[in-house]
Amino acid sequence: MDRQTLAMAFWVLLAIVLIAVFLLVRQHRTTRALRSRAEAAEAAARTVAEEERHLVEVRLPALAESLDHRPVEVPGPRSPEAAETHDRVLALFAHSVRQATERGEQSARATLKSMMRAVQSLSNEQQVAISAMQERHDDPDVLAGLMRVDHMNSQLNRRAQATAVLCGSWPGQQRSASALTDVVRGATSRIRDYLRVNLPAESDVAVVSRAVEPVVLAVAELLDNAARHSPPNTSVEVNFQQAHNGMVVMIDDGGVGMTVEELNRAARLLAGTGSNDINRLGDPPQVGFAVIGVLARRYGFRVSVDTRSPYGGVRAVVFLPTELLTRVSKPTMPDNAVALPPEQRRQPRPDADDAAPGRTPGGLPRRRRTQPADQGSAVVPAPATQRVPTGLAAWKRGTDSGRATTPPPPVAEGNTQA
Amino acid sequence: MSADRRLQGLVRPYVVTGGRAHASRNTFDAVTVVIATREQVAGLSPEKKRLMELCRGGALSVAEIAAHLSLPISVTKVLLSDLVDSGHIATHAAVSHAARPDMKLLKDVLDGLRARL
Repeated sequence: MDRQTLAMAFWVLLAIVLIAVFLLVRQHRTTRALRSRAEAAEAAARTVAEEERHLVEVRLPALAESLDHRPVEVPGPRSPEAAETHDRVLALFAHSVRQATERGEQSARATLKSMMRAVQSLSNEQQVAISAMQERHDDPDVLAGLMRVDHMNSQLNRRAQATAVLCGSWPGQQRSASALTDVVRGATSRIRDYLRVNLPAESDVAVVSRAVEPVVLAVAELLDNAARHSPPNTSVEVNFQQAHNGMVVMIDDGGVGMTVEELNRAARLLAGTGSNDINRLGDPPQVGFAVIGVLARRYGFRVSVDTRSPYGGVRAVVFLPTELLTRVSKPTMPDNAVALPPEQRRQPRPDADDAAPGRTPGGLPRRRRTQPADQGSAVVPAPATQRVPTGLAAWKRGTDSGRATTPPPPVAEGNTQA
Repeated sequence: MSADRRLQGLVRPYVVTGGRAHASRNTFDAVTVVIATREQVAGLSPEKKRLMELCRGGALSVAEIAAHLSLPISVTKVLLSDLVDSGHIATHAAVSHAARPDMKLLKDVLDGLRARL
C-alpha cells in the first residue's frame, strides 16, 4: 500500500461518488417529471369527471327542458377541450328527441285532422238538413228550435274547422265571392254571442271566392275572443275602413285588454311564423290566434291585436290586401263566372241592387215587374221556380193571381249575383 | 251544391232576424202581397234593403220575396213584419175569394180532360 494504491483508490472513490451524484440528480429529475405528470393526469381526470358531472347534472337536464319548449338556455361546457365528445352526445340526444317529438306530433295531427274532417262533413250535412227544414216548416216555434240547432251546429263546425286548419287542413267550404258585410255577418253566425256584435253600414267591397272562408273563420275567431273577453252587457263593434292598398276590418271590445305576455304570445302566433305545435295550446286549448296565424300566412292577409280599443279592450285589426278584394258591382264577377258551370250561371239571382235596370251584365233584358200584367196573357213560369221546389205551388199561385206584373220574357238572365 | 246554397250557408237565418223566429204580426201567408211605401232604406239590414228594392218595382208576394232573398218563408215573414212595423211596406190581402177560380169549374175541366185522354 503506497501512494499509488491510495491514489487509485481515491480516483475510484471519486468516480463512484460522481456516478452516484449523477444518478441521484437524474433520479431526482425523473421523479419530479413523473410527479408533475401524475399531478397533471390527476387534474385532467378531475376535470373530465367534473365535466361529466356537469353534463349529467346541468347540461342534459337543461337540454331536455329546452327541447320541451321551455325558455331555458343550455349552458356550455366548463372546459371546452374536455367536452368535445359531450357536444356530440348532446347533439345526438337533441336530434333523436326532436325526431321523436316530430313523429308524435305528425301522427297526432293526422289523427286529429281526419277526425275533424269527419266532424266537419257531418256538421255540413246537418246544416243542409236544417236549412231544408227551415224552408219546409212555417211554424215560428219550430223555426225558433231550428235556429237554435243551427246556431249550435255553426259553432260546432267552426271549432272543427279551426282544429282542422291547425292540423294543416284547408278551411274547406268553397264559396262564391261575397260582400265584406256578408263575410263579417257570416263570421258572427258562428259565435255564441252573435247578438252583441254591432255591424257597420254595408260596404261595396267584396272578398274574392278563395279567401271568403278563411277570412270568415279568422274574423269569427276574433269576434269570439272579443265577445268572450268582454262583459256580457257590452257590445262588440265592427268597423270597415278603406286603406291605401286594401281594406281594414276593426273589431273593438270593451273588455279588460291583454297583458304584455299575452300580447307577445298573440303577436308570435298571429305572425304565423312560430311552430304551431298542437301539443302546446294549453288547457283549455287556445286555438284562436294560432288558427288566424296559419290562415293569414297562407292567404296573405294580416291580423294584429296590439292596439288599444277606444272602448277599453282590445282592437283587433284585420288587413285585407287588394289581391283578396273585389267589387260588389255586378258586371265583374270574376270568381263566380269561372266557378259555376253555364247551366247554373243562367239561373236568375236575387236582384240585390238593380244597378243596371235595363240590362243584365250579359247584355240580356232584365225582368221588371213595374207594368201591370196583361190579364189575358199566358204566364210563363219564371226560371226562379227552379230554385224553390218546395214553395213551388204557393209561388205559382202568387204569380198567377196576386201580383200586378208583366210576364217575364222567356230569356234566361245572366248571373246577377254579387 | 248550388250557388244558392253556397251563398245561403254564409249568413244564417238567425243572424238575418237577429235571433227572432216569431214575427211581430200574424198577418202574412205565402200569397200576401207586399208593396213598398217608403223610399228611404237607410239603417236597414242588407236583407231588408234588398227586400225593399224588390218591392219598389211593384207588388210582390211573400213567397216570391222569400225565393228572391233565398230565405225560408218563415224568416222572410219576420223581416216583413219588422218592415210593416217601421212603415216601410204595406200589405194587401192576396186575392178575394170571389176572384178565385171556381173549384167546381176546375174539377169539371179536369174530369172532361180525363174523359178525353
